[in-house]
Amino acid sequence: MFSFEGQHITSEFTQVQPSTAQAAITSSSPVDFCRYRDVDWRQFKHDFGPKTMSTNRFLSAIKNERLGLMMILASLIVIMVTVFLLFSYQQKNGETHIREQGANLARILTSIPFEQLTSSSNINRLFSVLQHNSDNTAFAYLAIADIHGEILSETTSPGIIVPTATVPNKPSAWLGERKLTLPSNERNVQEFHAPLFDNGEIKGHVRLGYFSPVFGLSKNQIPLFATFALPIFLLTPLFYFLIRRELRPIVHVNNQLDELIEMSTDSKARLTNNDNLHDLMTRFNQIIISTQQRIGELETDRSKLVTSTKLLSYKRSRIESILQSLPDAVMMLDESGSVSLINNKICTVLGVSSENIIGKKPAEWCSNPEIVTFITNHECKMTRVCQAESMEFTTPEFPDRTISISPYPLFSHSNNSQIIGTLIIFHDITAEKLSINRSSEFVAHLAHELKTPLNTLAMYSESLQGEDGSNEEFRIEAANVIHDEVERLALLINNILSITKIEMGSIGVDRKRVKLRELLQDAFETCARSGQEKNIDFRLDLPRDISPVAMDKSLIRIAINNLLSNAIKYSDPGGSVTLTVEETDHSIRISVRDKGIGIALDDQKKIFEKFYRSDNDSVREREGHGLGLPLAREIIQLHHGTLSVNSKPGEGTEFIASFNKETEFFKQAS
Amino acid sequence: MKRILLVDDEPHVIRILKLSLIKAGYEVAEAANGIQAINNISQSHPDVLITDIDMPRMNGKELCMHIEKTLPERDFMIFVLTARADNEHRVWTRSINNLEFLEKPVSIRKLLARLHEHFTDLAQNEEEACLTAQSTQ
Repeated sequence: MFSFEGQHITSEFTQVQPSTAQAAITSSSPVDFCRYRDVDWRQFKHDFGPKTMSTNRFLSAIKNERLGLMMILASLIVIMVTVFLLFSYQQKNGETHIREQGANLARILTSIPFEQLTSSSNINRLFSVLQHNSDNTAFAYLAIADIHGEILSETTSPGIIVPTATVPNKPSAWLGERKLTLPSNERNVQEFHAPLFDNGEIKGHVRLGYFSPVFGLSKNQIPLFATFALPIFLLTPLFYFLIRRELRPIVHVNNQLDELIEMSTDSKARLTNNDNLHDLMTRFNQIIISTQQRIGELETDRSKLVTSTKLLSYKRSRIESILQSLPDAVMMLDESGSVSLINNKICTVLGVSSENIIGKKPAEWCSNPEIVTFITNHECKMTRVCQAESMEFTTPEFPDRTISISPYPLFSHSNNSQIIGTLIIFHDITAEKLSINRSSEFVAHLAHELKTPLNTLAMYSESLQGEDGSNEEFRIEAANVIHDEVERLALLINNILSITKIEMGSIGVDRKRVKLRELLQDAFETCARSGQEKNIDFRLDLPRDISPVAMDKSLIRIAINNLLSNAIKYSDPGGSVTLTVEETDHSIRISVRDKGIGIALDDQKKIFEKFYRSDNDSVREREGHGLGLPLAREIIQLHHGTLSVNSKPGEGTEFIASFNKETEFFKQAS
Repeated sequence: MKRILLVDDEPHVIRILKLSLIKAGYEVAEAANGIQAINNISQSHPDVLITDIDMPRMNGKELCMHIEKTLPERDFMIFVLTARADNEHRVWTRSINNLEFLEKPVSIRKLLARLHEHFTDLAQNEEEACLTAQSTQ
């Protein structure tokens, strides 16, 4: 609802949408507002004008106080009825009383002889006695009248004139009562008249008048009534003030609720300030509603918070699990150089427990002074970025394990140029070192293997250049040796290249459908030719049908060649070399068997290592680089097969290349 | 005649060195590995020991160590020939007296020159020692 204040419209109740209210609470005039809102101005004024407003207000006030008003009305009605009944009772009572008195007194006076009554002194005495005895307030007059109605003597209440009235002549009506109206003040008088006799003769009448009791309060009663009414009227304001004082807390509460409402919501407008209890309840309800709303909002916020906290803690635990799962030990130092975060691998690397080191500087818990010095020197502070150096150390508990320490600066997530600490990573480089060592060893081996034939070539060629060069015999010998050494060297270099390529994975396995039978036959025949001089018995045992396989022909040929040439090399003259193929449902096995010098059990573990040659004299007296078997194995493994050895020194050796038929090699081929 | 012990598992090396050394006027004995060399030395000390490192059974380093331990008053020169030129070998070869390290491929001419130099020095020292001994008398 709106009310006008001059030209402006202010909103008062909240029945209207705030937006409309706010639209109105511009300083536009009501006319403009109506024009804006497309409302008929006159109708608007009618609906929202002041008169209608106050009427409406009045009507609503009445509506609010229904109960109170009805109670008041009811009590008023009851009071009126009671008072009415009381007054009528009073009147009737008065009348009855008067009648009794009047009638009795008239009767008494009738019996008094006339003469006595005419004597004024007697009358006065009589009257005074009567006046004292009777109910004085109602007494109007007492008059003695003669037959003709002339008043002989009288006594009246002050200010009363006896009304002239004739007593009826009829004897039956001599004793009676009647109503008269006093002329002076128009009060009704109830008159009792009785005849007065003297010796049996009617001489006159006695007329006794009493005021008729009025309905309501007579003048006499007013003082009394006033005396009662005054304290009541005095008490009423007192009670009013007392009640008001009692109600003040409610008013106070009302005001406070007002403030609460204003605080709790932004857009609610103020209610009218009404001390009414109903309003209190309404406002209280509003408070409850707005509080519930607020609670609802808080609940939503809380559940959002819970969700986001859960999300955060999920993310955090994810990061935490990453941290703990890292293969390296991680330590974070804060700007002061104290440990602020570690993962659980630190305990195994440094041999300390997490409680002992968090919050402390390395010097306090680290037993290795080198590590302490290194860490302290490489802390990243403020703008000084730690040098990118690494340190290696081993612990006495694990002497074979090498750990490298690498410091890194920790940059703030929000500000990339701000350093917030140092990240130290402990990385187990045992394997790397091992690998480096192996590489160094390999290179050393390689150098040695290459330099050895080179050395022979150098010496022989140098000799040829000198005096010995003129010697024909020497020349022939030198030429042969040089030729052999060059062949050896070429073979070595090829083997090295092959094996290195395979290990690095840079060799492409050219898988094609291969007829194993042909390949093996071919290889066998080549080897058999070269081994013929040694007088070795060569046997080939191949089934007629071998399942086709998908293999790299050249690589497999190298492998089979190596096996066959080994068999020939390490066989004594008169020995035998057999090449067999066996096929089952699940596998194909190629076996190269010889009856040569055999391989010692200790050596069997090492023969597949690059450059390994047994120390055995009978092995050493035969030339070799120690690469044939490693290469063969690599090639076979490249085809998802295995190379195994059975041997007994002095009896012979068998090498078995076994290929699983479930692998792609076979599925591709078929 | 000066006696030289050749130790190498490569028969070609032994052959060509032997040829050249005999031609230069030395007496040459040979061994194919460390153990054979020790046997030879125990029978009679050579004047010079020329050995390879990589040999089966007992390699050159082990041989030299053994000699150091068992013959501390050794008076013959050791030449170690090897294709292995890594630091490790330089280190241990430096720590032993009267031991020289020669890297393969070895030039025969240089080896012969070196031997000649060695023996000349040896002879000079002996002469000086004699002269000193004579003068003190």
